[in-house]
Amino acid sequence: MLTPILLIPLATALLCLLVRSQRLMGWLNPLAFAITLALGVCLLNEVLAHQVVTEWNEFFYADALSAWMVLLISAVSLGSTLYAGRYFRRDLAAGVVTAGRVKEFFVLTPVFAAGMFLVVLANNLGVMWFALEATALSSVILVALYNRRTSLEAAWKYVILGSLGLALALFGTVFTYAAAVNQNGPEQLPSFNWSHFMAVAGQLDHRMIKLAFIFVLVGYGTKAGLAPMHTWLPDAHSEAPSPTSAMLSGVSLKVAIYALLRFHILTTQCLGTGYSRTLLLGFGLFSMFLAAPFILVQSNLKRMLAYSSLEHVGLICAAVGLNTPVTIFGALLHMGYHALTKPVLFFAAGNIHQTFHTMKLRVIGPGVIKVLPVTVLFLGLAAVAATGLPPFGLFYSELTVLSGGFAAGHTVISFLIMTALVAAFCGVLKQLTRILPGTPKVARVADAAVWDGVPAMGLLVGGLLVFSVWVPVPLLRLIHQAAGIIGGKP
Amino acid sequence: MIMNPSAPTPIGSQIIMLFAALMLVLQLLLVVQKMLLTNIRLYALQSLMLTVIAAVIAWYYNATHVYIVAVLTLVGKVIFLPWLLNRLVRRIKIVEEIEPLINAPTSMLICGGLTLLGYIVARPFTTLDKLGNNTLAIAIALLLTGFFLMINRRKAISQVLALLTIENGVMLAAVALTSYGMPLVVELGIFFDVMVAVMVLGILVYRIRESFASMDTSKLTQLKG
Repeated sequence: MLTPILLIPLATALLCLLVRSQRLMGWLNPLAFAITLALGVCLLNEVLAHQVVTEWNEFFYADALSAWMVLLISAVSLGSTLYAGRYFRRDLAAGVVTAGRVKEFFVLTPVFAAGMFLVVLANNLGVMWFALEATALSSVILVALYNRRTSLEAAWKYVILGSLGLALALFGTVFTYAAAVNQNGPEQLPSFNWSHFMAVAGQLDHRMIKLAFIFVLVGYGTKAGLAPMHTWLPDAHSEAPSPTSAMLSGVSLKVAIYALLRFHILTTQCLGTGYSRTLLLGFGLFSMFLAAPFILVQSNLKRMLAYSSLEHVGLICAAVGLNTPVTIFGALLHMGYHALTKPVLFFAAGNIHQTFHTMKLRVIGPGVIKVLPVTVLFLGLAAVAATGLPPFGLFYSELTVLSGGFAAGHTVISFLIMTALVAAFCGVLKQLTRILPGTPKVARVADAAVWDGVPAMGLLVGGLLVFSVWVPVPLLRLIHQAAGIIGGKP
Repeated sequence: MIMNPSAPTPIGSQIIMLFAALMLVLQLLLVVQKMLLTNIRLYALQSLMLTVIAAVIAWYYNATHVYIVAVLTLVGKVIFLPWLLNRLVRRIKIVEEIEPLINAPTSMLICGGLTLLGYIVARPFTTLDKLGNNTLAIAIALLLTGFFLMINRRKAISQVLALLTIENGVMLAAVALTSYGMPLVVELGIFFDVMVAVMVLGILVYRIRESFASMDTSKLTQLKG
């Protein structure tokens, strides 16, 4: 079951390399991710029944946390590729991209997704590292797809900062390996598997693990966009084509957090709870507080959305850092709801960009609702959700985190988190009220993208609405189980 | 895989130490050297030192997979990557020298300080034997000076070189610190990732050169805030 999840996107990439019809490529991609989503649901059931699923002599290893990530990656990739078909047809017609570049997108996106699947399914920590590097490399080309000066600049910053971060993470990975080697004398270790390391966590060299976690935190933290290593994030998110922005923000950041969490679990098992959780909490809070003012003053729609992602990533890390069962549960739930919300915002931004040919909020001006009523409907719903208003799930998950924090006696920290959330809430609402209502400056925009992306946005918003009011019991059990893995058994 | 549980003899660990130190020396030369093509050659030489270290370790421990790592390093980083970078430099016809932001003597002093810092970080690891302790210090020093090299250079290709020297530092840590090296699958994965990374970077450098008519990364300043 784990092998097909990896092979299907790779096979799709190969197929797309061979076929010429763009329409066909535009259908093959979503089809592949629909299949992986179905496989993810099967995996969910397996994991609930057996706790852990392994394949190929434990090379692939999936527990509840991996299964949860598989579902998120599939859902976001499905939405993004579904949206991409129409989006690129419009770009092609406008002459912004060439047919070759569109093909590049449909070949590299499944590779990008396959890399993410490998990150969450690999048992070997070294394999996890190179899978993450593979996701970075495939997405860099996607960020540079438009070949504008600004997108090249964004891609360059992304690849240099990303590679530096991953080099640090590799140092951390090597140190983790070394921590086990030195205790066992000059013997080849049986494996570099996470499950094996968890079993021997008590015997690892404590000092070495401490050093390793710092390196891994800064390294994978760069890829996850944690402040102050986040500077590539707004650039890459704003310059990439919208479907890629959606994937970067919707899951790629969370996959990096997943890698970080694996080391966090290992470090906690080895050193006790105090060390890694404090670091996560610090970086998380800092990211949240840094994001809020940037959202308030931002003049570019997609950059504002990118900073909002930074804020959500910060919240997830801070919630894990609070380290109570309730907050960790909230963090995982938040990952899921955010993965359904943020892509919709980027799709809507894509439609606005293709209609107004700019991302500058001032130029877009008021009255988008008159020009793009359907897009604004989805944008509004997703924005309300992303700012954490009821009845959407993000409200519930944020409330879970806060109540968990207050209940555990972390009053000051919970209060800080609440402040940052309110600030970001004001920022996003203020910015969107500037452009959405009112009368447009130009009476009529020719060739507005009125009905574009409705299937993709409808799918994700529909999912968000359903899961906001009703989370199926197996899914709930899965998240509980995953929270148990992160927080240790209660 | 046949294992020989004895540690390297004093001569063996001295050879490893010597070549690790040479890697650091080459790194410092990279910091002060201004000609791009010479920089690429220095990097190739540094990778050659890494190959020798891997080979020595493989010989002492009689570990087949470390031999494979040595061969891969030789083929990939001593021959293929420098060739690729050379070709790229010729193709985009760069004639200018690198203009570092900080002059050579000051850079040298800073790098000396960074090396010292590497030794300070590695100092508490007393559980490691002397070999491990020294190579850990050199690996961290390579990392820090690599960072400095990256900040100090504005040409896109020399930033790629800085990244590659950092990666050499990681590989030094990986072969020397863990005595048998990492599992083969990991080493292979890292190796191919580095190759692909350089190709991706090469494509980007080429495109940046095309649309900016320069590869000075200090011109990449349009995205802010």
